[in-house]
Amino acid sequence: MSASELVRVTIDGKEVHIAKGTGLVESALHAGIEIPVFCYEPRLGAPIGACRMCLVEIEGMPKLQAACTLTAQDGMVVKTARTSAQAAEGQNATLEFILVNHPLDCPVCDKGGECPLQDLTFRYGPGKTRMNFEKTTFEKPIPISPTISLDRERCILCYRCTRFSESVSEDGQLVAKNRGAMSVISTFEDEPYTGAFTGNVTELCPVGALLPTQYRFEARPWEIQSVPTVCGMCAVGCNTWVDLREGKAKRVRSRNHFEIDEGWLCDKGRFAFTHLRAPDRIVDPIQRVRRRGFEPVSWDAAIDAAEEMLRAARERVVVALSGSETVEQAYALAKLVRVGLDSHEAVLPEEVSGALDAYRAPLSSIGDAQVIGVLGDVPLEESAPIVDLWVRKARRNGARIVDSEDNLKGADVLIWSGPGGRGGVRVAQLAEQLGVSAAFYVPATPNGRGIADAWSAASDAEPGDEHSIGVLIVSGDEAAGNPNVRGLAERAEHVIVSSMFHGLAAGWADLVLPGTSYLERDGTYVNLEGRLQRLRRTATPPCPDELEWISRLAARFDIELAPYPSSVFAEVSKRCYGGLSFGEVGERAALRTYDAAPAHVDPPALPEPKTAEGGLHLVCYKPLFSGPAVERVTELQFQRPRAEVELSAVDAERHGVKTGDEVTLTGGGASVTLRAQVNRKLRAGVARVPDEFAGDVRGAVELSKAEVTA
Amino acid sequence: MADTVVEVAEQPALVLRGYDGTPLVDLDTYRSVGGYAQLERARAMSPQEVTQQIIDSNLRGRGGAFFPTGRKASFIPTPDKVSKPIYITVNADESEPGTFKDREIMLKVPHRLLEGCLIAAHAIQSKHVFIYIRGEYTEEYEVLSKALAEARKAKLLGNVKVTIHRGAGAYICGEETALLESLEGKRGQPRSKPPFPAIQGLYASPTLINNVESITNMPIVLEVGPQEYAQIGAPPDSTGTRLFCLSGNVARPGVYEAPHGITTRHLIYDIGGGIPNGRELKAVMIGGSSFPVMTPNELDTKLDANSLGQHGLFIGSGVVCAIDDRTCIVQFALRVAQFYMHESCGKCTPCRVGTRWLVQILRAVEDGTASENDLEVLLDVCDRIIGKCLCVLGDSAAMPVASCVTKFRDEFRAHLAHGGCPFGADSSLANLFAPTDQHAHTTVPQELSVERV
Repeated sequence: MSASELVRVTIDGKEVHIAKGTGLVESALHAGIEIPVFCYEPRLGAPIGACRMCLVEIEGMPKLQAACTLTAQDGMVVKTARTSAQAAEGQNATLEFILVNHPLDCPVCDKGGECPLQDLTFRYGPGKTRMNFEKTTFEKPIPISPTISLDRERCILCYRCTRFSESVSEDGQLVAKNRGAMSVISTFEDEPYTGAFTGNVTELCPVGALLPTQYRFEARPWEIQSVPTVCGMCAVGCNTWVDLREGKAKRVRSRNHFEIDEGWLCDKGRFAFTHLRAPDRIVDPIQRVRRRGFEPVSWDAAIDAAEEMLRAARERVVVALSGSETVEQAYALAKLVRVGLDSHEAVLPEEVSGALDAYRAPLSSIGDAQVIGVLGDVPLEESAPIVDLWVRKARRNGARIVDSEDNLKGADVLIWSGPGGRGGVRVAQLAEQLGVSAAFYVPATPNGRGIADAWSAASDAEPGDEHSIGVLIVSGDEAAGNPNVRGLAERAEHVIVSSMFHGLAAGWADLVLPGTSYLERDGTYVNLEGRLQRLRRTATPPCPDELEWISRLAARFDIELAPYPSSVFAEVSKRCYGGLSFGEVGERAALRTYDAAPAHVDPPALPEPKTAEGGLHLVCYKPLFSGPAVERVTELQFQRPRAEVELSAVDAERHGVKTGDEVTLTGGGASVTLRAQVNRKLRAGVARVPDEFAGDVRGAVELSKAEVTA
Repeated sequence: MADTVVEVAEQPALVLRGYDGTPLVDLDTYRSVGGYAQLERARAMSPQEVTQQIIDSNLRGRGGAFFPTGRKASFIPTPDKVSKPIYITVNADESEPGTFKDREIMLKVPHRLLEGCLIAAHAIQSKHVFIYIRGEYTEEYEVLSKALAEARKAKLLGNVKVTIHRGAGAYICGEETALLESLEGKRGQPRSKPPFPAIQGLYASPTLINNVESITNMPIVLEVGPQEYAQIGAPPDSTGTRLFCLSGNVARPGVYEAPHGITTRHLIYDIGGGIPNGRELKAVMIGGSSFPVMTPNELDTKLDANSLGQHGLFIGSGVVCAIDDRTCIVQFALRVAQFYMHESCGKCTPCRVGTRWLVQILRAVEDGTASENDLEVLLDVCDRIIGKCLCVLGDSAAMPVASCVTKFRDEFRAHLAHGGCPFGADSSLANLFAPTDQHAHTTVPQELSVERV
């Protein structure tokens, strides 16, 4: 910044030189002076000056001014409540007004102890009330959704939540109703507040008005330990705090990483944590016992059984990975089977490519882009919700969003979400053609890149020829739920599954070892930017974690493998991450480049799957609110996908189908009947169906209107 | 309301020029008194010349804020400086209690308003004029629409589009930025300024917002000449005439056009025929309900901004509402406070909360349950509202209430001493609380209950 853009502002007698146009609240902060605020939140767009908490005196202006609405101008002289009696009186008045109708039920309010209203009242407010009339009362709490409850008496009408809904998530669902003293926050038409981002309003709310229902009466802030970790629900890797009470996760909050999430978090990342306490959680190893089904066994017995199976299989072990393992877990497994058993075949959850490494950029760069190509057939809101928020931010700033490959000229950022992206190869090719600086590929799994790094770091040997499968190791619930893996299991002599939940492996595994969640692991993930991030153990798992049993098993095969993520990471890091130490990954990880990273093999370019003119190609995708964890969270069931097939307007018209019609899709020797949903944003030739409703239908599909049965 | 008295009380006739009891609603009649001649003259001038004439006339806003109209127009950037369209918005959302002049302009001289719009459009090179008309003004809307259709048919609009938009009944939408929000289809709440509408108004484009009476004065300024106009009334600041809205306890209420500078006494007693039924004048709601009240000993104050200002009073939108001695002043203050509580938009804290608190205290005073200390709290609450809100609505509630307490403190005290209203049921306002009393209730029935899915 050149000196000419700096202006001189005097705040409480302190001179600061600051960029012209900087908000006064920030300018004061620069001078070490607090201007208290409630409604001001720069991430929500232009300031609205509603709460009047930030009143200051400005020389030359007759009335007190809302500092949040003003920007630094040269020569401005500002007096805050510290030096201006008028401003102090103004702030005191604001707080008196705010508290006039506030129920002051702090002892039973979940916000108590971490409440900006409490804090600011303590510092700036009146010590006693002069209000001796009845307060406004409202029915409360109102569940505006199963995950969020609204207390209108505590609400101070700062409009942060409605502005979030209007200007960030752009769903327009939260609105203010009525007028004046009767104004209340409400959902539009009193419908439940749905969407990917609703939970953010519970963090934006400066009082105890909008609170997560899961946290209701669960803990007091002073009993909480907050653990900084990273969300493992998708490939974005939002930074989070997990709040623990007595070792149990009680709440997940955003831990603003301004390059990744800007302090937002999706509802899956925020609310799905209660799957840790799912009633069908596996806590002990279980082994198939002939004729008698499954039976819990001791860890010693389980390790013995696994060793026996693996010894018999030697060189014929195949590992199916989920993509949700930490780098360390994946490496440990890889070392066990590749070094210990000379088996080199892995089933990775998806294709991974290093092709995009040249276009590596922070997600925040999307927000500054002018033209953004969003490609692929899966909505970003489903695959990587926070990326969608960046795109929306860019659009609000005037960016053009292009969703067709034919129209990408001038694009400065490309994003691929959906099948056909081939691990980023496709988007990298486009990026090269167009000369764009930043390109992103959204993997289907949270750590697809990291586990591929780990697998290749363990050995350079290539898989051998086709052979029989002695043991199939299925790592994690996603792999266990994958139909291709089930197919392999049928060919395997023995199957060892690591899974969190009963039921997923029942009937086809010989040995099931209890799995852990990303919230219970220490280790690292690589997100879709290629950023290596640190997970910390938050909740204590009910069983030893994967690294521990892998390490014990490895010892049986004379493989040296410490059960500590830091040691395992050191080994991987030497090969993949430039020798970075575990401690250096950092709490807010930087986006690094690694010269010594092993080159992934780029598969040859394949032609796009062509669909016959007028035909439909089935695109199956994992909706945001799907997967084994979400399925186990009661509060999220209302957000689950519906049994629908989305069709473009063109295809709907061609088939004479309207939204709400029952249609049958036939393809790949199977058929399924679903409700049709016409989506004008969808490209022609695509029929989009959530994975869980597609059955065995695959590829090119025929569509017919279902017979209406009486 | 068809029989509202509308007349020129004191010469010269400016806004009502040519009106002699027969509304100038059709084009030919309006043309017969020289209508649209000034539009033609204006269009022969450069936009800057027109703006300069308005500046020279020192015409000031008739909506209440009294801002120089020409200067406001000069803030609008020229089309070569902005890539966005330039809009004019006419504020016809006349809702200030006691104000009923704009409706008479629209009923009696609608074409003069349109001519003013088109002159203003030429002055700031705008191609689109929005007239935001109060939703309850049905007849006015029809008359104005008909006049517009006629003007359009006569090809008087040129390349200017004029859109009449009907409001939905919120007082706050008379506040210029709330009006813009409402016009954009949003909840009618004021915006924080800056940015000012002249730079970022309707659809974030430069927008000139004028009151009906102000803009209707524009053809007149051109007709009589800016220098001559500037001599009319109480120069230098209060030039031209006013359509005074005389109402309340007077013999002949109505809209009277008279130059700035006549005295309140003259308006009430000579023009309005005085207080009927042998009653005494107790107070005057002057400027509008948003301002401090006038007491009888201030009756000789001239009705111009500076003279009123010396007494801490405002000319506002030309309201002169006489209040006679049957009126309980506490009830008056309560009624005013109830209005503002009902009309507060709910955006900023002091207004949203403060207006309700004022009503609660005033109700307690009226009921005789308040203490002397409550009067101090009442004044302090007023003080804590004034100058601290996002827009002037909060001030509008607090100023009249505070003035009632300070100017009629004895009557407030009498309520406390008497343990209730000394007027009993005899106050002339006694039956005027019904529609608003419900808003003083503390518990609101809740209709929202989102079912768990």
